[in-house]
Amino acid sequence: MADISWEKPKNPEKPKRSERFKFLTAGIVILAAVLYLLISGTLQGARYFITVADLLQGEAYKGQTLRISGAVDGETIDYDSEKAIIQFEIVNIPSEYDDLATALHEALLDPTAPRLRVRVEDAAMPDLLQHEAQAILTGALGDDGIFHATELLLKCPSRFEESTGPEGLSKIPEHQ
Amino acid sequence: MLAEVGLASLAIAFALAVYAALASTLGARNHSDGAIRSGRNAALLTFPALLLSAAMLVSALLTEQYQISYVYEVTDPRTPALYRVTALWGSQRGSLLFWSLLMSLFTGAAIWLNWRGERRLMPYAIAAMMATLAFFLGLSLFIENPFERWWLLPDAPPGQQELSSALIPAGALAPSESALRAGAQGLNPLLRHFGMVIHPPMLYLGFVGFTIPFAFALAALASGQLSTGWIKATRTWSLIAWIFLSLGLILGGRWAYDVLGWGGYWGWDPVENAAFLPWLVGTAFIHSVMIQEKRGMLKLWNMLLVIATFSAVMFGTFATRSGVIESVHSFARSEVGFPMLGFWAAITLVALTLLLWRWRRGELNDEHQFANLLSRESLFVLNNVVFIALFIAIFWGSFGLPIISELFFGVEVTIGAEAFEFFVVPLFIAMYILMGLAPLSAWGATSLARLGAALRAPLVLTALSVIVLWASGTGLPVALLGYGVVLFAGYVALYEIYRGAAARRRSLGESWPRAGLALFRRNQRRYGGYIVHLGVTVIGIGVIGSSVFQTEAQHTLVRGEMIAIQDYTLRYDDFIRAQAVDGRMMNIAPVTLFRGGASIATLRPRIDDYAQMPMTIAGAHSTLERDFYVLLISGDHERATFRIYINPLVNLVWWGGILLIIGTVIASYPKALPARPPRKREGADG
Repeated sequence: MADISWEKPKNPEKPKRSERFKFLTAGIVILAAVLYLLISGTLQGARYFITVADLLQGEAYKGQTLRISGAVDGETIDYDSEKAIIQFEIVNIPSEYDDLATALHEALLDPTAPRLRVRVEDAAMPDLLQHEAQAILTGALGDDGIFHATELLLKCPSRFEESTGPEGLSKIPEHQ
Repeated sequence: MLAEVGLASLAIAFALAVYAALASTLGARNHSDGAIRSGRNAALLTFPALLLSAAMLVSALLTEQYQISYVYEVTDPRTPALYRVTALWGSQRGSLLFWSLLMSLFTGAAIWLNWRGERRLMPYAIAAMMATLAFFLGLSLFIENPFERWWLLPDAPPGQQELSSALIPAGALAPSESALRAGAQGLNPLLRHFGMVIHPPMLYLGFVGFTIPFAFALAALASGQLSTGWIKATRTWSLIAWIFLSLGLILGGRWAYDVLGWGGYWGWDPVENAAFLPWLVGTAFIHSVMIQEKRGMLKLWNMLLVIATFSAVMFGTFATRSGVIESVHSFARSEVGFPMLGFWAAITLVALTLLLWRWRRGELNDEHQFANLLSRESLFVLNNVVFIALFIAIFWGSFGLPIISELFFGVEVTIGAEAFEFFVVPLFIAMYILMGLAPLSAWGATSLARLGAALRAPLVLTALSVIVLWASGTGLPVALLGYGVVLFAGYVALYEIYRGAAARRRSLGESWPRAGLALFRRNQRRYGGYIVHLGVTVIGIGVIGSSVFQTEAQHTLVRGEMIAIQDYTLRYDDFIRAQAVDGRMMNIAPVTLFRGGASIATLRPRIDDYAQMPMTIAGAHSTLERDFYVLLISGDHERATFRIYINPLVNLVWWGGILLIIGTVIASYPKALPARPPRKREGADG
């Protein structure tokens, strides 16, 4: 059906030396190109993912593009809908925890936990930005002490994802 | 009662799966037909047992049995009936049961379709499927049990009086129904969307579906039946799984576009990527398996790809369900993570060990060698290299880099969407070029001159299209390059269909429609494949248009005020607050959209307030040319703030997806069902 025809190789089982050279060259070029993409992409796009406490410990991370994670303090959320600027504070949560909902809750109850002011420009107000949500932000700490984020990812485990049990059930008279 | 029956049938299914795995393996090893049949029957029985179990959970969801803690977590008294049913896969525990149900269904289908044809492979294949099912059922029974109920322990110390348990603890009392109804949590509003009704089942069907090719590969390795039988069964099942996985990914993108309110559909999120990884390896396998069928080559490579696809499925499941990956899509952190990682590692290790053993015995040697760099098989291998490079790049960015940096440097390093785009754009360009070149090449060998002659028509069409695009105002070189490469692949697919039909017209004198239909009927795999390529072309055009030319703006309007955005005008009309039947408060800001002075649509962007969580629902005016996508940010009767996205060609992403599915269905549609023994009827002859 197709017009195309092909030439049968004289000896299909043993490719000619020149063909083998072509395969080898093609393989090396592809490998080199993929390695180049991986290495240069990683070097350009790599960002440390650290906690609020790590960020505020010293000057090491100042000005660098980073990812940080923290608990959102709902009372500090301020959205300027005219300028599309979101500002809020996040509180340090440890990098290791057993239960995210508990870690977020405890972080916000701790008055000594490190806090960080965050500013996100040209952003729609995300539905999940609320008290005790986990914010994962990409951006840089400015000289003004504010974290200027270009990307905001939110997780809200306490309400829908990690049930902590039906509070108050035992206070209501039970029946069999 | 529902919980007891559900739990008992779950336990029975677990016992059946364990028995089926053991009986099938021992039967195959000892050549015991009785044990093999017994294993098969047990495997078949897992489906009714799990269907009963799932039916009990759905009944509990529909009849509001809030003492069952899963029902309590994912529904509330105001949840509509549809979302009560779909709540079966709305959270970890239910979706694990649903996964197992689908796994048992696929196993039953594989037994029905392949029992006669692949008799020697089936015992080991059943053993592999049942071992996987038993593992997931074990998770459901012992870690994430969907039939746990709330109990009160009056004698326990304060703070430990409420307990969720599958079995009734001694001295336990049932909580009051009114308290349970009052506290029930309801389905996550993000999941109350039609896309979420069908996106997870499709994704699960894709994931579960890839277990079947893996089981056949493992069976071929274990039994030594490494001829073409396993590859035929595997190829069909891979295509079926690939259809569902593709559909799952497309629907997931559509859900994100409609629900997440950021004007996009793919964010290089780790969990999205985890679902994309098996698709990439599976696509590589679907192509390279053709070389084994046609030329008896790449036997070892194909085995590796099947194992890698299943391994990627298991890893993706682990990434989504363990909660260790930070993502908007993942389930909550769960204890299933460690066992899942263990199962993934164990099953991959077993498969690789068997593969190595067969390879060292020389049972996976190729029948031919690659003789020409431009032959179709060489170009298919290059296509495989591109898919695997995409796999490695995406895996590296999503999981490899964060895990390695954390392990060796004590600080997690991640990369953002721009870095992913840096990796994948050149690789996708290479993929589209190969999509265009490979169909024009021939098996065995092709000369550059002949390939060049075959390329002439598609290249001329591509060049003309790019010139037209440039003349009509698409000035961005990156976009022109992208459109050119993508269109080239599409024109080759169209050209090949045209050439096939033209050849039939010439030789058989058929009309164009008849020749076209006959072409698809006679070689459905090849021409179905071209439809898939056309679908991927259409998706590519949509992705370039919507990502390179997307515009966004935010405006605050006084009621009645109009604003011009490109060639549209938007008018803020009204602000309405209304309560829906499920209890949510809807804040709706109807706007009128004008184009060329005429009103073309009334859009109703809104914010739904679900108790503690708002949901922004976009209003969109969709045409094939572009989407006018508007979000309500805040508002009242005086003024409202809107965020507006204009997404050119975004609908081509969904239409291309539909084309891709149609093509895959054509390619994989069975020519005939497996032959059954003929039933003689008296007097049939007359």
